[in-house]
Amino acid sequence: MPHVTARTLRMAPSGCPMNLLSDKNISSNVTRVTVKTSGKQQDFMVADDTLVRQFKEKLSAHFKCEMDQLVLVFMGRLLRDHDTLSQRGILDGHTIYLVIKSKHGPQSVTHSFRKLPCDEPDKRDGTIKGNSIGLHQPASMSQTPLEPPFFVKPEMSKVNIQNLEVDSPGHMAQMLDNPSIQQLLSNMNLMRQFISELPEMQQLMQQNPEVSQILDNSEILWQTLELARNLAVIQEIMQIQQPSQSLEHSQNPQLHLGLETIPSEDNVLSQSHAGFSDQIPNNLHDIFGNNLSKVLLPGKVPEHVQSPPSSPPSQEQRDPLPQLPTTRVIYTSSCGLSSANTTPSRMNHTAKVNAATASTKDRSHKCAIQQPVEVPALPSMITQQEQTESKDDISLSDSDQRLEDDLQLLDEQTNSQITRNVMQLLMSDPCLAAHMMLFMSMPQLSEQWRQHMSTFLQQTQLSDLLVTLANPKALQAILQIEQGLQLLATETPVLLPWVAPYLWGLGWLPGPSCNFSDMAPWSWDVPDMIDPKGPEFCHKSEAVLQMLHSEDSAHSLQAPEIRFSRQMESLQAMGFGNHHANLQALIATEGDTSAALWKLKRSQGF
Amino acid sequence: MEPPNLYPVKLYVYDLSKGLARRLSPIMLGKQLEGIWHTSIVVHKDEFFFGSGGISSCPPGGTLLGPPDSVVDVGSTEVTEEIFLEYLSSLGESLFRGEAYNLFEHNCNTFSNEVAQFLTGRKIPSYITDLPSEVLSTPFGQALRPLLDSIQIQPPGGNNIGRANGQS
Repeated sequence: MPHVTARTLRMAPSGCPMNLLSDKNISSNVTRVTVKTSGKQQDFMVADDTLVRQFKEKLSAHFKCEMDQLVLVFMGRLLRDHDTLSQRGILDGHTIYLVIKSKHGPQSVTHSFRKLPCDEPDKRDGTIKGNSIGLHQPASMSQTPLEPPFFVKPEMSKVNIQNLEVDSPGHMAQMLDNPSIQQLLSNMNLMRQFISELPEMQQLMQQNPEVSQILDNSEILWQTLELARNLAVIQEIMQIQQPSQSLEHSQNPQLHLGLETIPSEDNVLSQSHAGFSDQIPNNLHDIFGNNLSKVLLPGKVPEHVQSPPSSPPSQEQRDPLPQLPTTRVIYTSSCGLSSANTTPSRMNHTAKVNAATASTKDRSHKCAIQQPVEVPALPSMITQQEQTESKDDISLSDSDQRLEDDLQLLDEQTNSQITRNVMQLLMSDPCLAAHMMLFMSMPQLSEQWRQHMSTFLQQTQLSDLLVTLANPKALQAILQIEQGLQLLATETPVLLPWVAPYLWGLGWLPGPSCNFSDMAPWSWDVPDMIDPKGPEFCHKSEAVLQMLHSEDSAHSLQAPEIRFSRQMESLQAMGFGNHHANLQALIATEGDTSAALWKLKRSQGF
Repeated sequence: MEPPNLYPVKLYVYDLSKGLARRLSPIMLGKQLEGIWHTSIVVHKDEFFFGSGGISSCPPGGTLLGPPDSVVDVGSTEVTEEIFLEYLSSLGESLFRGEAYNLFEHNCNTFSNEVAQFLTGRKIPSYITDLPSEVLSTPFGQALRPLLDSIQIQPPGGNNIGRANGQS
């Protein structure tokens, strides 16, 4: 027996109390209708002559959705707005079906497997639009399948993710600021599933099995997610770091890098973290960030993102990606990553010092990590000092061409703007390209890759010095020496006057012979961080170059010409008249006359 | 205003026992059952049914069961395919999840009944929806109830609606 409650819209004309109305409702103006929707049903009291539109208004308020999302079905007929309920034959006790459309509509049946469960109307907390959340490579992902159970979770409320292409980092940052997204990102399992299920990711995984290893390692994934969560801050950093160089697009690639190449960048992360204690990765990131940002984005490094704390991932995931293009992307993304990971308190060399002192195990690894710190600075030095600078530029452009070819390949795979921007970046700055190559020769990469790198460098006819630098032992030795000196400087400041000459050589202290004003772009301004005890970063590259040579020849700071003068004379006596070629050969073979002989013979076609 | 499109709605009825129930039921149950019925709704040139894997769809007659044993005309509907799919996905999230499947209480026929009412306002024939209670009213059915309860039926050949394909 229907009871008319206070929700009635009109009193009976006779003025009788509501509860006296008869069941038949012939004289009654109100009906009770049951509205069934998405497995629930609810009763509503409406007047007979209520327009469907009015009823929809009521429903939209009740179900918290737009009116045009509502579809009313009665007896298989769609209820039009201009009808009244009684016209459609809706009587008391009848059931009207309500379908709440999602804002984007459902997929067709054949594509139902890709359908977003969040599109379903019963999630009246708010529609969830598909998202290229940025945790996958293609920038143009418009639909992402997500597991239904996730959206059944009660705590997910009102998540608004745009179903659009990521075309502006500002937008991405805005999106990431959404705390719901943050929550989403912090759900490890979900994100892992999410990433795994993307078809593009699956495609990528087929091509690079390491990627799936990344995904399986929860630590790496967690770091990635931390990074993604902090990307908004990273973007700020990028913006502040915008140099006078025409890196206006670096903002995009940096952010996109972080966003879109996180899976591949994690490889580098995993490699760099392998075998390290918890402290070290933080320091390493600082070091990376210090120097890479110095290289890429000169200027004051402002506040940073807290570097993700990490525990060493499993060792077996350090396999590098042998493909050149992917590694390039790794580099660029790690640039973005590491720049973001700098901490202001470690912007200067106290960081290195801390790193030196804090690290108690795996010193060799530490040395290895620190190598790219010095190494990237070198090519700039070299290219400026070398008389064959033009040749370097040409050879670099060759390599850039190759890079570009490779990157185009990657471009097809990832469909992103990153590589294009990076390529432009490289083209505009050949020094940067050289840096990249040296960075590639990090000993963290496998022996295979290093050999590949050496060959590659030789093929591109880069300076032989760079080839030499691909020698891991040499780099290790450099770092060991520098480390020892750092240690001395901090532990025993009383010894500072004694070690000062060496530190000048290394560039740790402002030496009297700092006359490389054209090195200015590569040097830091750290006005507020001058540690009286610690060194100030200045013209390191020159010093390291000298260190290299000194390593070769009993610590004498001499140019190779002088060092190899004896060998040069021998070569010339044998009839090799090309002074420059001789010098190159000797540098490459480090003074070994007979080896240089072979080299020259080969190159001259004997 | 142009007349709205009317789409026919059919009910496909399959006998899962393939005639065995008709022969053996008098002996085993003590009453005559014509078949063990599995039903699906066919509308917009697609067949929709509910099983232990949730709501699925396929081309009409496209499950492993083959062509239906009988077809019942339920009526016609104005509901468009788009709205219908929305409705189905909301059902699949709420009332007709795969886990909710129960051979007696909440089976394919429950689903067909629900959908038929949505589409046309009419229910499906009662001999189909009464089947579980018919079986349970026999001593044999009662005895076998624990076993029968655990049976999950999912006719192969359909695509899942409302969740990622191929993922559990």
